[in-house]
Amino acid sequence: MDAEKDRRILIVDDSRTMRRMVASSLARLGRCRFEEAASGLEAIERLVMGPADLMVLDLNMPEMHGLELLRFVRARQAYASMPVVVLTTKGDESSRTDALTAGANLFLTKPFSSSELEESVRALLQSEE
Amino acid sequence: MPDPNEPEGDDFFSEFLDDYFAECEEHLAALRRGLLTLEQFIDQPRVDDSLLDELFRTFHTLKGISGMVGLSAAEALAHEMEGYLRLLRRGERQLSQDGFDALLAGTKLLEQVIEAHRTQSPLPEIHAAVAALTQVTNTSIVEIETGPTESATTPGNLGKPEWRFLFVPSAARAEAGLNVNHIRSRLQEIGEIIRATPLIEEGEVTFEFIVLANPTESVLEDLRSIGLTFAPITSEREIETTPTTPFQPDRSAPASPTISVRVDLARLDQLMLLVGDLVVSRARLERNLSTIRNFIPSHNWRQLQEVNATLGKQLKDLRNDVMRVRMVPIAEVFERMRFVVRDIARETNKSVTVDLTGQETEIDKFLVERLMDPLLHLVRNSVSHGIESEAERIRVGKSSQGHIFLRAETAGELVVLEIGDDGRGIDLDRVAAQAPGIELKNREEEIDAAQLLETISVPGFSTTRDANRASGRGVGMDVVRRSIRDLDGSLSLETNPGKGTKFRIELPLTLAITDALIATVDGQTFAINRSSVQEVMEVEPQKVKVLENNEIIVHRDQVLPLVRLSRVFNLQDKKEGLLHAFVVGTGRRATGLVVDKILGLREVVVRSLNDPLTEVCGVAGATELGDGRPILILDARELLNGPQASVSSRTT
Repeated sequence: MDAEKDRRILIVDDSRTMRRMVASSLARLGRCRFEEAASGLEAIERLVMGPADLMVLDLNMPEMHGLELLRFVRARQAYASMPVVVLTTKGDESSRTDALTAGANLFLTKPFSSSELEESVRALLQSEE
Repeated sequence: MPDPNEPEGDDFFSEFLDDYFAECEEHLAALRRGLLTLEQFIDQPRVDDSLLDELFRTFHTLKGISGMVGLSAAEALAHEMEGYLRLLRRGERQLSQDGFDALLAGTKLLEQVIEAHRTQSPLPEIHAAVAALTQVTNTSIVEIETGPTESATTPGNLGKPEWRFLFVPSAARAEAGLNVNHIRSRLQEIGEIIRATPLIEEGEVTFEFIVLANPTESVLEDLRSIGLTFAPITSEREIETTPTTPFQPDRSAPASPTISVRVDLARLDQLMLLVGDLVVSRARLERNLSTIRNFIPSHNWRQLQEVNATLGKQLKDLRNDVMRVRMVPIAEVFERMRFVVRDIARETNKSVTVDLTGQETEIDKFLVERLMDPLLHLVRNSVSHGIESEAERIRVGKSSQGHIFLRAETAGELVVLEIGDDGRGIDLDRVAAQAPGIELKNREEEIDAAQLLETISVPGFSTTRDANRASGRGVGMDVVRRSIRDLDGSLSLETNPGKGTKFRIELPLTLAITDALIATVDGQTFAINRSSVQEVMEVEPQKVKVLENNEIIVHRDQVLPLVRLSRVFNLQDKKEGLLHAFVVGTGRRATGLVVDKILGLREVVVRSLNDPLTEVCGVAGATELGDGRPILILDARELLNGPQASVSSRTT
């Protein structure tokens, strides 16, 4: 990764509040640029426009479920290695296996603590470097 | 990795509380709509899948964000409802009346919990609601119909052909504004998107939208011009016929964050104040211009005057635009009333339908919040007192189902709301029994609606023998009338025994800036809201007749009572020459407010006088005309009723 450039982090969640909370938690990583998408298609469009260094993904979304998005992304050469953190509301734990099978690097549940998310993502980004 | 189940101890996310409440409001509105639609599926073998999906997801999201802000009561409630919906979605339960009631009660409680958190009040008890939900989740096991596992999706657009639209997203297109959100909304305009999926076509990421629509050639041409390719799908697939629903399932994703912004109402208030200050400054400029008129060459003066006029026009545009930003459709309020009616109808064992008209009518957001309580009360009254029991309705030859209607429309600078029912009307005998000595009928034996409203609006007035659950909640007509008055509005009533009752509320579109007529009395300047003035007339003193203690004049072949502002405010009557009058009120309630001289029409900025000590009957607020001297804005309707009656009431 180019150490000089800001990392591009794509936050995909249909809840506006949640997107902001995620962005604000990760802002402490520094050198990050956040992009938000409220739906799967919007996320794909953003990826078409340029690769992201990491994606934080909600599962329960209208139009296109997060898992569908994850599978679509993983099937593309260009995004196959992008780290993906699945962040879903408690009660969805049954999807943990599905998400990890589909190619999620991390599976976290909401409510999350900002430091927990920040640390997990930091570790994930470092292991990529 | 830290334990993901450990909630954050610090208040990191508390800064998002405003976002949280705003988002909750949207979800709760969607839930109210969705639940109303869901009701028709009680005890049906199958429920519209997209409806269940939407409800499930909404509870799920509410659970998620409530957990994030540490509101565990809301999280728990949403969790229970989500659980029940999950079972419905999987077809493991059939929607029962109990189940529906539990969802409804749970949603209401959820709303109360969130509201309590917002106002930092004690949270309501959720134990019983959770227990009721657990009960329906655990016990209502039903025979599962083993029909085809095809979804019960409701296309709702029976007979509309399916179209396949393809869109190739790219950076260049997105920069030109042609992003997926734009495309999606364009397609929503022409029909219903039933599916949206990403594909790879010829090595490129392509979005496929399946839309039920009947597009015209020109619509298709438009869509072609923004880069969409399309073709109708000739499918053998049978389109299922399930009842069409007014509910718009949100198959598509929520609006992108770039389409709209949320603005704190306080900031808009601030903006409006600034516009108000500008209006005052311009008035000051105009005043100064007129004083220098004789000192500069006339063509220079005219140029200045022109600039001033342009400025005035631009300010007016600005004011209108700022006002428009504050406007929201009344639909949200109305939908909530539908919910309330449904509820009370259930409690009182009545069958009631609600007709909504003019939901798109826009009102100031400020008014939305303040209208909720009075409307709630009127609607409650209508259902619990107005609408008769089913048996009684049949006995008097009405349809067994009662009707409530809510209408809204804009009339000039006013918003007019009507709330009515086709019930039994107000029982005059009962009102009379509670208020001895008051004449509720006029000389022609017609109901004196104004007097009736006056009577039932006395604090504590009630005709109900035992205050029932649905209405007697301590909020009476006096509070309704008071709230409407606080919004500078008026309330009137029409009732027909056996046929129904209708309340009419008139409200100004906005409270901040208004057009006013300026007049003087004994050297003092007053303003009066233009929308309350029916006409302006000259009064020749010799034509004024004195009848008992009142002055009247014949105007348009009618007797018009006159009220001299000079006497209302203890000023000197004008000794000689013509007087002028503002005609306020209509019909038999019309009155002439007599002033010495009318100066003209001006745009004024209303500063409310909300200190109770300065609250003077007949004064709506204060303003200044640019010379720095405050002048009073008169409340025509209050003046019309005289100082003894503090609120307007007139027949319509």
